[in-house]
Amino acid sequence: MKILVGVKRVVDYAVKVRVQNNTVDLKNIKMSLNPFCEIAIEEAVRLKEKKVADEVVAVSIGPKQATETLRTALAMGADRAIHVMTDLRTDYMELQPYAISQIFEKIVEQEQSDLVLLGKQGIDSDCGQTGPMLAGLLGWPQVTFASKIEADDDGGMTVERETDSGMESIRIPQLPAVITCDLRLNEPRYATLPNIMKAKKKKVDTMIAEDMGIDLKPRNEVLRVFEPPARKEGIMVDSVDSLLDKLKNEAGLLS
Amino acid sequence: YKRNDGILDPMAKVGSGVTKNRLNDEVRHSGMQFVVDPGADATIGGMTACGASGTSAVKYGSMRNNILGLECVLPDGTFVKCGTAALKNSAGYDLTSLITGSEGTLGVITSVLVKLHPIPEHIVSALCVFDDLFKAAEAVAMLKLRDSPLARCELLDKTSISAFNRYSKTSGNSSHEKMEEKPTLFLEFHGYSKKSIEDNIEFVKKICVEDYDALNFTFTSGEEERKSLWAARHNLYYASISLRKGATGAIVTDACVPLSSFARLMTKTAEDIRNLDVVGPCFGHAGDGNFHCVLPVLEDDSEDYLGRLQQVNDNLIRRALEAGGTCSGEHGIGYGKIKYLSHQYGSGGLHMMKL
Repeated sequence: MKILVGVKRVVDYAVKVRVQNNTVDLKNIKMSLNPFCEIAIEEAVRLKEKKVADEVVAVSIGPKQATETLRTALAMGADRAIHVMTDLRTDYMELQPYAISQIFEKIVEQEQSDLVLLGKQGIDSDCGQTGPMLAGLLGWPQVTFASKIEADDDGGMTVERETDSGMESIRIPQLPAVITCDLRLNEPRYATLPNIMKAKKKKVDTMIAEDMGIDLKPRNEVLRVFEPPARKEGIMVDSVDSLLDKLKNEAGLLS
Repeated sequence: YKRNDGILDPMAKVGSGVTKNRLNDEVRHSGMQFVVDPGADATIGGMTACGASGTSAVKYGSMRNNILGLECVLPDGTFVKCGTAALKNSAGYDLTSLITGSEGTLGVITSVLVKLHPIPEHIVSALCVFDDLFKAAEAVAMLKLRDSPLARCELLDKTSISAFNRYSKTSGNSSHEKMEEKPTLFLEFHGYSKKSIEDNIEFVKKICVEDYDALNFTFTSGEEERKSLWAARHNLYYASISLRKGATGAIVTDACVPLSSFARLMTKTAEDIRNLDVVGPCFGHAGDGNFHCVLPVLEDDSEDYLGRLQQVNDNLIRRALEAGGTCSGEHGIGYGKIKYLSHQYGSGGLHMMKL
C-alpha cells in the first residue's frame, strides 16, 4: 500500500500573529509543520511499521523553505518527498483549497497512491476543505476527523471519528481512500538525531506549481483581515446588588 | 542553539519564563531534548533558582549539571552574565553554580543557557520486585557502585504500591493491573541499539536477582507498555494523597545521603511512619540516595497528628545529617529548613554564605 501524506508549512501554533495591510504579517515569523499534518505523518509511519503500508511519500506545497518541513516528515519516517514549489501564499490569501486539491490530484495520479492521509485542517486557514475536495475530484471515499484508523484483513479500513455528538465508526470496504486526521489519532514521535541525519539523504523531488497546468487563482476573494477586538478591561463591582444590576441592565443576561 | 557549519551545539538559550515542556516542544524536531524532569511543567528560571532535579538525575545529573551559563540581575540592578557556551570553564569564580539553587536570594535570573541531550533511540522500562525494602535499597547502592547504565531508578515502598492499587481502583483506571504490594524498583534504560540495552538489562538483572534476592524482573519497550509499567510512579503524588480521605495536600519530605546509608535511612523512616502511626508512602530517586515521603494532611488534623508528622521529618533529617548527607536533596531550603543549615555546614559554612 502506498500512502501519500500532505504536510503543510504553517505559522507555528504558539505565535501571536499580527495583521498588517489587511493580511497576516508573515515577516520573520516562526513557521512549523502543521500539527494535524504531523499526526498524519505519524499515522502513515505507524502503518508502515505494522507492515500494512510499504511506502510513505510526503508532499508539501510552498516556498523553498517547505523543504525543511519535508525533512521533518522524512526524519519521522517518510521514505521520500515531493516539494511543489510556489511563492504563492498558502494561508488562503492566494492559494486556496480548490487549487491545492487539484495539485494533490495530479500527484496522486502520478504516484498511484492507495491512501491519502491529510491533517484535518491547516491551522492558518482553518478550512478543512482539501481532504473532502480531493476525495471529490478523485471520486474516492473519504473519512474526516479520524481519531482511530485500523486496517482490516480484507484490504479495507475501519475509521473512528469524533463528532460533536459522539463517536462513529465508518468502514471503508476497499481502498483507495482519503482520510483526514484529527488531534486524538496519535501522539507524533520525536525524531531522533540519527533519523534526522538519515533524512538529509532521502530523496526530495521538486515540481513547480505554476507549471502543472492548473488554474491556481483563488476562487474566493478575501475582503478583510482583522484582529479580534481587544478584550475590554473588566470592572470591579463593589456589591452583589451592583453585580446583579449590571448583569441585568448592562449585559442583558438576566431578565 | 549555536550553529557552526552544520554541526549544532547541544545547547539552547532560554528566557527564564519558558517552561520545560515548551522548551522540549520547541526543539523536538532537532532530535534533542532538555532532560531535567522534576515531574511538573516548571519554568527553566524557577528550576535554576531551585537547583531542580528529577528522575533523570541518576544519569544526567540535576540542573547544576545541565546549565552552561545564565544571565541575572543583582538587587542593585547590575546585569551579570555567568558561564560560557564552552563545555569547560576555568575562568574566575563559578558564578553559575552559585546562582543555581540560590532560591532568589542573590538575584533575578533572566535567561539560562541549558545543555541539551539527544533523544534516546531505544528506551526500555523495567520493574523489579523485592521482598525487603532494605535489600532493594542495597541493590541500588551496588548498582551505582558498579556504574550501572541506568537512566532512571526509582524505589517505591509497599505503602506506595498499595496506595497506587487503591487509587487505580477508585479512579476507575482499570487498565492498570494490580501490582504486588512489595518494595518495587522502577528502572529505565536508554541506548543506541537494542543489543546495548539488552546487555545493560542483563547486567542489572543479574545483580538484583542473584545478589539481592529480587523476586522478579520484568521489562518492556513499547511506549504504551512503558507508560503502563511506570504508572504507579507517575501517579504517586495523587495516589498518596488519596490514602487519607479528604486530604488535599501533603507534607513532602526531602533528604539525600551517600548511597551506603541510603538503605538504612529509608527503612528507618518507613519504620518511624509505622511506629508513629501516621500515613505516608516513601519513594526515592534511589540512584541518587534521595528520597521523599508524602505525608497527606487533612484540614482538621489534630495538633498531635501534625506533631507526629513533624517528628518523622525531624528524625529523617537528623539521621541524614548524621550520615553526612543533606537536609534537602532537591526541594531547597525555603524558610522551613534554614534551621538545619548550621547543623549541616557548621558556623564556617554559614559565615561564608552570609558573605
